[in-house]
Amino acid sequence: MIDADYILSSLTKTFPNDLSESKIESDMRLTSYVEKDAIFNVCKHMLDNLECNHLSCECGVDYPDRNELEVVYHIASYEHPVVITLKVKLPRDDPEIESIVSVYWNANWYERETYELYGIMYKNHPDLKPLLLIDEMLGDWPLRKDYEGFPNKTSKNLV
Amino acid sequence: MDTNIGPSEMLMHLGPQHAIQPGPYLLDLRLKGESVVDAELKMGYIHKGIEKILENKTYLQGITITDRICYLAAMSNNEVFCGCVERLVGIEPPERSQYIRVIMEELSRIQSHLLGLGEFSTDLGFVTMFLYMIREREEVLNLIDTVTGSRITQTYLRFGGVREDFPEGYEQKTMSVLNDLNKKLDQHEELYNTDRIYRQRTVGVGTLTKEVATELGVAGPPLRATGVKFDVRKDDPYLVYNDLDFKVCTQKNGDIFARIKVRLDEVRESIYMIEQAFDQMPQGPLFPEGTPYGRRTPVMRVPPGEVFYRVEDPRGEMGMYMISDGSDTPYRVKIRGPVFPTMQALPPLILNTYIADVAAIAASMDGCTSEADR
Repeated sequence: MIDADYILSSLTKTFPNDLSESKIESDMRLTSYVEKDAIFNVCKHMLDNLECNHLSCECGVDYPDRNELEVVYHIASYEHPVVITLKVKLPRDDPEIESIVSVYWNANWYERETYELYGIMYKNHPDLKPLLLIDEMLGDWPLRKDYEGFPNKTSKNLV
Repeated sequence: MDTNIGPSEMLMHLGPQHAIQPGPYLLDLRLKGESVVDAELKMGYIHKGIEKILENKTYLQGITITDRICYLAAMSNNEVFCGCVERLVGIEPPERSQYIRVIMEELSRIQSHLLGLGEFSTDLGFVTMFLYMIREREEVLNLIDTVTGSRITQTYLRFGGVREDFPEGYEQKTMSVLNDLNKKLDQHEELYNTDRIYRQRTVGVGTLTKEVATELGVAGPPLRATGVKFDVRKDDPYLVYNDLDFKVCTQKNGDIFARIKVRLDEVRESIYMIEQAFDQMPQGPLFPEGTPYGRRTPVMRVPPGEVFYRVEDPRGEMGMYMISDGSDTPYRVKIRGPVFPTMQALPPLILNTYIADVAAIAASMDGCTSEADR
């Protein structure tokens, strides 16, 4: 039976140095911070060994107070009801992270969306370009907290 | 997409405005003869920035915004938003409210599936069925209208409960409409099954296998049509779905015919669930007692925290990730709509099919551009 305990113990055994602040909320929910260099291998391990074959959601969150951006992955499964929340902290002035499109195919559009809304650069993404926004808004990063909206597009000048 | 075309190839834009589309999107096709050899989907024509709007509205105002994500699934969008706030605050709706929510969400699912089936039928040129489906759907919309006061964007749910109780005699009225619908569905399904042209255009067309569907991240009826028993109502139960007896409708073939069959079965299953819910529904208050939550919640501050809550939308898994920082507006709301991955899976699905089948395949996925763009 695969539940949150089992997944956490498997992850901590395989990646002893890369997980922090892990928290089991219930049998089905697990939250953990992951080092940014390890996220690709963690996702691969989850897909190959833990039946977590469904990337439910991937999104960005902006924390200007801490000068950090977070990428949040919600990974679920078609086989069991566990939802795992993985978070990666990135510096706000140089957010760059490995793309997981080669692990979860449907991360493609989520990463394009996060890129255009938060300015998070995905390395090795097959086709990193805006998805929803017009080309002129690229570089405004409108979901960052310091975006003042039209016409004061201030965050463009900060990054 | 590579735009250098080879011999006997041509590029074609399908959209952004086209009669077969549920909303504006641009499908660029590279054709070799009549077959599609490459496809690319371009989105964003009705991007509304709902996630950013929600960050600037109070929680109560947010309910109204979530209706507008996709008007066909307004009830489940309300549910996912209110469910997030309830989990952050730590309240639970009383049992009667939960049953009312289940009934209204299943009614909403029925009307969404009926419109989906109708739209799909017009795209095939099967206009008779469109008129039948719209006629049946209007009856169901009347039922929703009776309780909520509007046909589509209802804003019916509230934190910890629902806005209105059912009116007098609602159970009898609903069940008579739904029993009628059940009989008509059998007739309609026979029409589908016995139509030779319909079968030629749907059986074995646009086939998704189990492995490909899970890899593409598809959810909802297109996934269940391939035989994967994935339904959030069963796997990650919310409200009182645990107390109801229902089965997850699946098919094996994964083609257009199977997707339509799954939707027809799900309508029947929803009717069965509504019948049970009416039988089991207790009397009682609509809102948890001893809390300030009611129809008119005052300005509320939500304790800091974060939650990921998912429900089964008519089109698949709908999730919401909400972060609160203790103020009266959400810090971050991420809407994980079911249509986003479905639309993303469309280009690989139509590769190596005929251009004439593209419309049928796209319509059978029951996309909604409004939700994918947000």
